Amino acid sequence: MSARPLVGGFSELWRTSTTRLILGYGALFAAWSIMLIGAISWETARYLESVVDRILVQRVHFLAAVERDRLPDLLAASTALDLRGVLSFGLFDADSRYVLGDIDRLPADLPVDGEVHPLPRGVARLSGQRGSRTRGVALRRAGDNLVIVLVRDYGAVDRVGTIIRGSLVWALSLTVIPGVLGGFLLARGPLRRVRGIEAAIEPIMRGNLRARLPLSPRHDELDMLADIVNRMLDQLERLLGEVKGVSDNIAHDLRTPLTRLRAQLYRLQRERPEGEQATLLIERCLGETDALLDRFRALLRISELEDLHRRAGFRQVDLTEILRRVHELYAPLAEDKSMEFSLQATAVPTVNADADLLFEAVTNLVSNAIKFTPEGGRVVLRTRTDASGVRIDVLDNGPGIAPEEREAVLQRFYRAQRGENRPGFGLGLSIVAAIVKLHGFRLEIGANEPTGTRITIYCSALPA
Amino acid sequence: MSATNLRRMARILTIEDDAVTAGEIVAELQIHGHQVDSVSSGSEGLQRALTGNYDVITLDRMLPELDGLTLVKRLREAGVRAPVLMLSALSDVDERIRGLRAGGDDYMTKPFAPDEMAARIEVLLRREPAQQETVLRVGDLELDLMSRAARRGGAQIELLPLEFRLLDYLMRHSGQVLTRTMIFEAVWGYRFDPGTNVIDVHMARLRRKVDAGQSLSLIHTVRGCGYRLGESG
Repeated sequence: MSARPLVGGFSELWRTSTTRLILGYGALFAAWSIMLIGAISWETARYLESVVDRILVQRVHFLAAVERDRLPDLLAASTALDLRGVLSFGLFDADSRYVLGDIDRLPADLPVDGEVHPLPRGVARLSGQRGSRTRGVALRRAGDNLVIVLVRDYGAVDRVGTIIRGSLVWALSLTVIPGVLGGFLLARGPLRRVRGIEAAIEPIMRGNLRARLPLSPRHDELDMLADIVNRMLDQLERLLGEVKGVSDNIAHDLRTPLTRLRAQLYRLQRERPEGEQATLLIERCLGETDALLDRFRALLRISELEDLHRRAGFRQVDLTEILRRVHELYAPLAEDKSMEFSLQATAVPTVNADADLLFEAVTNLVSNAIKFTPEGGRVVLRTRTDASGVRIDVLDNGPGIAPEEREAVLQRFYRAQRGENRPGFGLGLSIVAAIVKLHGFRLEIGANEPTGTRITIYCSALPA
Repeated sequence: MSATNLRRMARILTIEDDAVTAGEIVAELQIHGHQVDSVSSGSEGLQRALTGNYDVITLDRMLPELDGLTLVKRLREAGVRAPVLMLSALSDVDERIRGLRAGGDDYMTKPFAPDEMAARIEVLLRREPAQQETVLRVGDLELDLMSRAARRGGAQIELLPLEFRLLDYLMRHSGQVLTRTMIFEAVWGYRFDPGTNVIDVHMARLRRKVDAGQSLSLIHTVRGCGYRLGESG
C-alpha cells in the first residue's frame, strides 16, 4: 500500500497537466499581448507625431506667407492658444539675430528648410520651460529674410502612447489573472477524479482484481484512460485465472491417481504380516503418499478459499472461545514436546468473521509454531485489543523467520530456507493468508523478543 | 453393544457414473464383506433404491439425467430411510451443506481414500436409532453420560472434557474403524485437515488413561487408517 495521502495540497495541483497547460498558455498570451501593445502604442505615437508635424509645417508656411507687420500678433496668438506651453517660437533676422519670441537663439542643429526635425539636445527658452522631447521647424521668409522657428514639445504625444499602453496592460491583467485562476479551479475537477481513480485502484493493488476504475458519462480523456486500464485489468484477471486454473487442475488431476496409489498401498499393507521389513517399507510409502495428498489438499483448499466470496458464514464471533478450543486441541502436542504452551485470552470485543475459518487459520499458526519451535520451547497464543483494534498473536521462541523472507512465506509455493527438512511449512501459512484476506483482516509476520516469530492477525476489516 | 465383531452382510447400492470410481467402491466394500449393486445412471438408481430395500446408498453428486441432489430428495419424499453417503468432486462448504440438507447423511469429496469411505459406510450402517442411553459399556469400560464419569473394571478414570467427548464418540461407534478425519469432524466439529499428528496425540493420551495397566487393550490403531475401540484386536 502506498503511503501517499489521497488529498494533496497546492503542490499536487501545481503538478497537474491542466495547470501547466494553463500557465504555459497564459505566458504565451501575455508575451503576445505585450508585443501587440508595443506595436499599437508605437504606431499610435508615430501617427500622432506625423499629424503634429504636419500642423507645424502648415503653420510655419502660413507664418512665412503673412505680411511682416501682422507677424508678431499671429505668433503671439498661436502661442496664446497653447495653454500648456508646449509650443514656442522665435523670430530671427537675416543675420540670425533675435527679434521676437520665447526662443532667443537659433538652434544650431535645426536646418532652415521648412521641414520638422528632432532636436535631441532640446532648446533653451526664455520662459525656462524644458520639454522631454522636442521637435522643431525653421523657415526663412521670402520677402524680409526673417527666420521663423517653431518648436514643439512632443511629451504630450508620448503620453498618449503611455496612456494607451497603460490601459492595454490593465486589460491584459484583467484577462490573464481571472483566466489563470479559473484554470486552477478547472484543473481541480480532473484532479478530484484522479483521486477517485486512485481510491478505486487501492483494492486492486490489494489483490481484488475484480474491481474496476469508475467511468463518468462524459467520455473524456480520463474516461478513455480508465477504460484502457479496465480492459487491461480484464485481461490480467483472465490470465491470472488461467494460471491459477492450470495449477488447480494439476493438483486435481494428480490427486486422483495418488488416491488410487494410496488405496493400493493400503491394500498391500493390510495383506502383509505386521512388522516385516517389506511391510515397514510399504508403511513408509503410505506415509509419503499421505503427505503428498495433504499438500494437494492444502493447495486446493487455498484455491477454494481464494475463490470463496461468500460472507454467509460471517457473524459476531467470540475470539476467546476460538482460541480456547485451539489451545485445547494443541496443548497435548506441545506437552509431548515439553513445550510451554500458554493461552492469554483477555475478553475482547466480538469480531465479524467465519468462526470455522478463523479456527482453521489459528490452528495452522499454532501448528506451525509448535512444529518449528525446538523441544522445551515456548509458544504463546493470545488475543488483546490495541490501538488498531482486536488482534490475535501467536508467539514462539523458535528460530524465527528472516525479515526478507516474511513476505515470501505467505506465497503459495514458498518454503523457507531454514527448516528445509521440515514438512508443510509454506502451505499452512498460505491457507492462513487466504483466510485472513477473505475476512479483510491483516496478517503480519514479525519478530518475537528476544528470539522467535510473532504472527499477528489484525481483526479489523480493512476499508473495502 | 458389546458384540463388536458382529458382521452382518449389508446390501449396498452404488450410484456412480464413472466406471473406475464405481469399481473401486465395489471392490472396497466387497472386501468388507458387503453385497454391492452398482448402477451408472440416476434414473435407474432411483428405481433400484425405491424398490431394493438397501441398507446404505452411495450416491454421486453429479450424474447424467437425474442429479444426485434431486435423487436424494425424491428418495426421502418417497419415505426411503436408507442412509446416503454423497460423493462429490465439489469440495465447497456450501455444496456439502446443500447435500446434507437435501437428505444425505454424509458427504465425501472426490478423490477419496476407499478405506475412509468404507469406514464411513460402517458408521452409517450401524447408526443406532436415537435411543437415550445413560451408560455406555464396552467390555469392562463404562461411561456414565449423566455423571460424566468413566470407570474401567470399577476403577475411576479421570477425564478432561475433551477426552470425555472423544471417548463418548469412540464408545458409541465401538467395533468400527474411525479415521482421524472422522474423529476430528465428530469430536471437534471441523471439516478441514488439522494436519500433523494432533489427533494421534489426543488418542495416545486417552489410550494411556483407558488402557494403562490393563491386560486387555480396548483402543486399537488400525494401520494406515485410524482407530477402533473394542474388545478384540
